[in-house]
Amino acid sequence: MIKIVALYDQIESGMGTKDDKMLPLGAKKVPIGPGIMMQPYLKQIDAKIVASLYCGTGTYMGNKQRVTEKICEAVNKIHPDVVICGPAFNDKNYAQMCVELTDGIIGTTGIPAVSSMSAENIEVIEKYRDKMYIVKCPKKGQAGLNRSLQNLCYVAKSLAVHDDNTADIKEYCF
Amino acid sequence: MGEETRMQENRMKNSLMDTFESKLMPIAKYISTNKYLMAIRDGFLVSMPLLVVGSIFMLISNFPVQAWINLLSNTNIAGTSISSYFSNITNATFSIMAIFVVIGIGYNYAKEEKVSPIFGAAVAILSWFILMPFTTEYIPEGSSTAIEVASIPLQWVGSKGIFIGIFCAFISVRIYKWVEDKNWTIKMPSGVPPTVGQSFAALFPIAMVIIVFFLIRVLFSLTSWGNAFDFVYKILQMPLQKVGDTLGAMLGIYLFAHILWFFGIHGTNITDSVFRPILYALSAENLAALQAGNPLPHIINSQFQDLFATYGGGGSTLSLLIIMLFFCKSKRIKQLGKLAIVPGIFEINEPIIFGLPIVLNPIMAVPFILTPMVNILISYITMRIGIVPICNGVIMPWTTPPIISGFLSSGWQGAVLQIFLIALGALIYYPFIKVVDKQYLKDESEDSDSGTDDFSLDDLSL
Repeated sequence: MIKIVALYDQIESGMGTKDDKMLPLGAKKVPIGPGIMMQPYLKQIDAKIVASLYCGTGTYMGNKQRVTEKICEAVNKIHPDVVICGPAFNDKNYAQMCVELTDGIIGTTGIPAVSSMSAENIEVIEKYRDKMYIVKCPKKGQAGLNRSLQNLCYVAKSLAVHDDNTADIKEYCF
Repeated sequence: MGEETRMQENRMKNSLMDTFESKLMPIAKYISTNKYLMAIRDGFLVSMPLLVVGSIFMLISNFPVQAWINLLSNTNIAGTSISSYFSNITNATFSIMAIFVVIGIGYNYAKEEKVSPIFGAAVAILSWFILMPFTTEYIPEGSSTAIEVASIPLQWVGSKGIFIGIFCAFISVRIYKWVEDKNWTIKMPSGVPPTVGQSFAALFPIAMVIIVFFLIRVLFSLTSWGNAFDFVYKILQMPLQKVGDTLGAMLGIYLFAHILWFFGIHGTNITDSVFRPILYALSAENLAALQAGNPLPHIINSQFQDLFATYGGGGSTLSLLIIMLFFCKSKRIKQLGKLAIVPGIFEINEPIIFGLPIVLNPIMAVPFILTPMVNILISYITMRIGIVPICNGVIMPWTTPPIISGFLSSGWQGAVLQIFLIALGALIYYPFIKVVDKQYLKDESEDSDSGTDDFSLDDLSL
């Protein structure tokens, strides 16, 4: 079974509204938010979310180094097969947090990580698309969420098993 | 290799959800990206605050206390009663609502087509007035024959002029863009200030719009219809209003909107772009009847949708929130309930929809879709048999809390109906959310039992 760690902000984790930016770093050992939406696809790829980490975007922005350290520590402890940061939809702050943490996790822990966001986050996507896989997802409220979650699971699985067949993966990413 | 094939097979297996979504997605995508529908939706948003403020004045002047009403009609300022002054506000907003709508749609459609929005609004209004018959029928006192008086008719600048206005806005802006694209403009020498240059540049496009609509007007006058307004109203608007004002239409549209919501798509945004103009027109007719002291004609209208179908936001989630706060035991649900209750009272429910989540969470699908259907059905029936007054047509912001909104629109019976529906919705949601609660509670007790766990996430503090 593939072990997955997921990372969310204050909104997607269900821990706050968009104004609750200073939500402290925390975790639950079960799927929450989008993790629950992805259940059928996780089953399909024989995967399980063993921990859901969450952090307010304000908490992260105000303390990037420390938060990244703590998250990498946690990821090292849990030692999943892959980390999923997102989906961030069109939330610029969450999108930035996602790619930077994905970058940090890949660099520090060596564990594969993947991010997901909508095309509206152009600057961040352009900056990081060559360093990592960023799976496309719709804006919040737009059609295509179900399919994008399925793609996200597919890409996560490919990374977890170190599958070299990258043609399919690239199709779902920016 | 075997794994890859298995994965491919899984992907090809069409679960019920995937089939549903593959059918819905193209429709939702089409509606949400269609330039015309977006312009209609955004155009109505312009008129909304004007109608809301106008409504507030209407509410004040019609507040159901007889002594107040008498006071207003008997007190005079400079020879005119206060209630007349108040009705002036209503006249400046509701009675001429189509003017704002046409301006709004012309402006927004011009933005979509990347031409000057202000001139877009101008040609929309211009073309509409070209086609409008500038006469009002008037029967003088002591006579039995009607004479035609030259005037801008109130008849056509209110809700009845909306649909023809939509067409005028689209066609006129399209013509404007066509001329501009062909570069048939007067180019001013470089020293001329840009605003002057813009005005001159607009001359030819505007002239073309005028010519085309002049011809349309002439053509219509040669037909038995006489003018385009009567034609569009009778052929299109009236039948659409008739269909829209039915229980079946409301149920069908809201079923569609909620299925979209379940897939994470903003369902009411999509259905509004098609349905909202009809609902507004129905509301406006109710309001006109209210002012004239006539019985209210339409049960289904804009407020019916906002106040009785989905209080608390899509899925009537206010009912769900009550159960979450008072009857659920897991920390997660209680916490989510606490943070979502205040926005929920003001009809905003994003934290619940994406946070619980309701989106793509099959166990919540049934109550989420069922509760609004039940609300619509019961509200319709109570209004049909007359135990609750029909919504009076007063437009209020859709974020008005329930009970207050019900009272303002349908009197104390409306407020009571909302309380009843909220309670009934809570009963519908109860069994489903309790299942979720039980699961979350189980997760939480396993979390704290650190016996067999490989890791502890206690030390995440910074």
